[in-house]
Amino acid sequence: MFASIDDVIQRFAAHQYIASRTIATVVYLASHLRKPILVEGPAGVGKTELAKVLAAALGQPLLRLQCYEGLDEAKALYEWEYAKQLLYTQILKEKIGEVVAGARTLNEAVERIAREDDVFFSERFLLPRPLLRAITDDHASVLLIDEIDKADAEFEAFLLEVLSDFQVTVPELGTLRARHHPTVVLTSNNAREMSDALKRRCLHLFIDFPDRQQELDIVTLKVPEVGRALAEQVVSLIQRVRKLDLKKVPSISETLDWTRALMLLNVSALDDAMVAETLSVILKYEGDIRKAQQELREFVELQRAKAASGAVRSDKDVVH
Amino acid sequence: MMDAKVVEFCRLLRENGVRVSVAETMDGLRALGAVGLEHPELVRAALRATTVKRANDVPVFDALFDVFFLGLGEAIKAATQATAEALGMDPEELQRLIEALEALAAEQGIELSALAKALLRADSGTLERLLREAAERAGVDEIQHGFQEGRFTHALANALGAGGVADELARLRGLAALDERPDGAQLRDYIDRRLQDLLDMMKGAVRQELDRRDVTRRERQSLQALADKSFFYLTEEEMRRMQEAVTRLAQRLRNVVALRRRRARRGTFDSSATLRRNLQYGGTPFHIVFDRRRKDRPQVVILCDVSDSVRNVSRFMLQFVYSLQDLYSRVRSFIFVADIGEVTALFKEHDVNRALDLAMQGSIINVYSHSDFGRAFRAFHRDYLGAVNKRTTVLILGDARNNYNLPHEWVLRDVQQRAKQVVWLNPENRMTWGFGDSEMDRYAPFCTLVEECRNLNQLYRVIDRLVTA
Repeated sequence: MFASIDDVIQRFAAHQYIASRTIATVVYLASHLRKPILVEGPAGVGKTELAKVLAAALGQPLLRLQCYEGLDEAKALYEWEYAKQLLYTQILKEKIGEVVAGARTLNEAVERIAREDDVFFSERFLLPRPLLRAITDDHASVLLIDEIDKADAEFEAFLLEVLSDFQVTVPELGTLRARHHPTVVLTSNNAREMSDALKRRCLHLFIDFPDRQQELDIVTLKVPEVGRALAEQVVSLIQRVRKLDLKKVPSISETLDWTRALMLLNVSALDDAMVAETLSVILKYEGDIRKAQQELREFVELQRAKAASGAVRSDKDVVH
Repeated sequence: MMDAKVVEFCRLLRENGVRVSVAETMDGLRALGAVGLEHPELVRAALRATTVKRANDVPVFDALFDVFFLGLGEAIKAATQATAEALGMDPEELQRLIEALEALAAEQGIELSALAKALLRADSGTLERLLREAAERAGVDEIQHGFQEGRFTHALANALGAGGVADELARLRGLAALDERPDGAQLRDYIDRRLQDLLDMMKGAVRQELDRRDVTRRERQSLQALADKSFFYLTEEEMRRMQEAVTRLAQRLRNVVALRRRRARRGTFDSSATLRRNLQYGGTPFHIVFDRRRKDRPQVVILCDVSDSVRNVSRFMLQFVYSLQDLYSRVRSFIFVADIGEVTALFKEHDVNRALDLAMQGSIINVYSHSDFGRAFRAFHRDYLGAVNKRTTVLILGDARNNYNLPHEWVLRDVQQRAKQVVWLNPENRMTWGFGDSEMDRYAPFCTLVEECRNLNQLYRVIDRLVTA
């Protein structure tokens, strides 16, 4: 439980996540109102990361349910372990023989077996999937339902039931109730619009690409060995590239990948050739790369002009 | 007090097309309970997280939040700020001045009203509360038009007791002048300015209410009217809004269809599949298999007339169909004026709106020639007849105004024989069909269905039938 909104920001920062006030407020509210958070936003702005950090900050385990088309209750909630059940029946054949022994009619034998079938439909043979685990675990947890937009509308409806009551009915066992309310984070890339019913039950958080300053903070936090000057160059360039009309806009994770790549290559300042060679780290489509190249050339020119005017600083770089 | 405000704010959101349920309003209140009311930014974040669930609605929310919660408070603060600046005093001097005024009032036994005190002390919180309460009593929220501003400001002044305040302050002002105090001029100046500020604040409060009405009314009118408005008479702004409306309608339809299909998909027990599936368990039927009916997604071929007269309709029609692309197994679309060209590939490469722009710009066919349905149909027959099979719904959109060219209706006959159905949508009023160069009467016998399609509501009905078919 978080004590205040500032507490959220601090504890997230301790786990290397820079939470804006908006994000912190929503997280705080979620933990106090016991409501799921629905996080939307473009790919790679740290939606999944938010859940991971939340779990770490709360010191709770993270249970992750990755959604995909065709995901059904059996894979999300529980499954009977058929193979194990079958194995047990084979091993226990003789025991079953004893149970049935002495039965005069087929009917009576069936009756006797029926009396024992609880054995096979007990929690021992239940294979809990993330949803059920979140509900039945002894300790509270953070449940991440990732990319809910990829799942079918039917699954969404089923999820609604679970999220509103935190209880699950297994026909053979009865109703299982949550011992602890898990903190639920759902993420969506907006592949499709979520139903109103689901949205109504969640707190909504839209995370967009960070602005220049935020992104700079993130880069220096995550890749501390990067120099201030290079970090600034990288971030300004990425911010510019995002304004282009691209098929896939570079995300924060790509900014970080790129920065790390530049560090590996021992680059201290961006130049034309270096950018052109490493562009494929941030842009994933041939067409995008072509479009960006023009923009980059202008950018590097601009940087060079700046560097020339501030000759003192570039001299210092040379000395290094 | 806060409860009523939040409820009112949620109503305002609803009027502006943001869907806020009662449950969400209550969540909003609980959220405010958790974060407190001290920081406007936290209040904003808390309300946004609980009541706004679509990224598209965030700008609307922000704009309304500013008007609703911050507007008056900001105006009051700005007025105080301006006064302090105009007098050229720093906060400490101002504080001394205010204390001097209060001491003077106490000395002379002038009982200052709450409003006068708040005004002199520049107590924004109290001022805002008093103004809001008075506005409620004066019924300022009934204002409808700009020319009523004066009247409602007057009513507000009465409810607020502004006349009394003016008298109180005038006496105070007189005393300050009599006393021959060294700071007399300053005191008088301050009182004059604060009285002027009060007037500005009252005007501001009324203006703000008017703004709110305006936002609400404008939005509501266009939303209601848009769906019934003929495609011919759209302004650019309406075109943009129409695109949104189409997207929203498409979403609604998608949900409805998903539900219908789920209901229709339940099948019967499939014994052979069950046996096969359970061979691994020695034939013990652990898994029961039901025979699921095959999802029968319709195939669609669209022929869109994009000549000047019907371009808008074609645009929305295509947008609609492509927003729902995943509901069909296959969509092929063609545009024509006199020539015909396929645009299916455009929609694969670009997003819907960009593809539409490209298609309408004339890179595929000459969109500025004179309509010739017969010629376009014959070209379709020659080049693309293979696209039509017994599962295909052929959708033709056009006004059938053929400029007295040969209609070649036999093409439609051939198409109809091969297709599951042929639907013709005509964006013209049904009364005018068949007059002048309209060949609708010749084409109609070869269509399974002919529909008038002049506005969004009609379009929705047609598409609905199409995805269900």
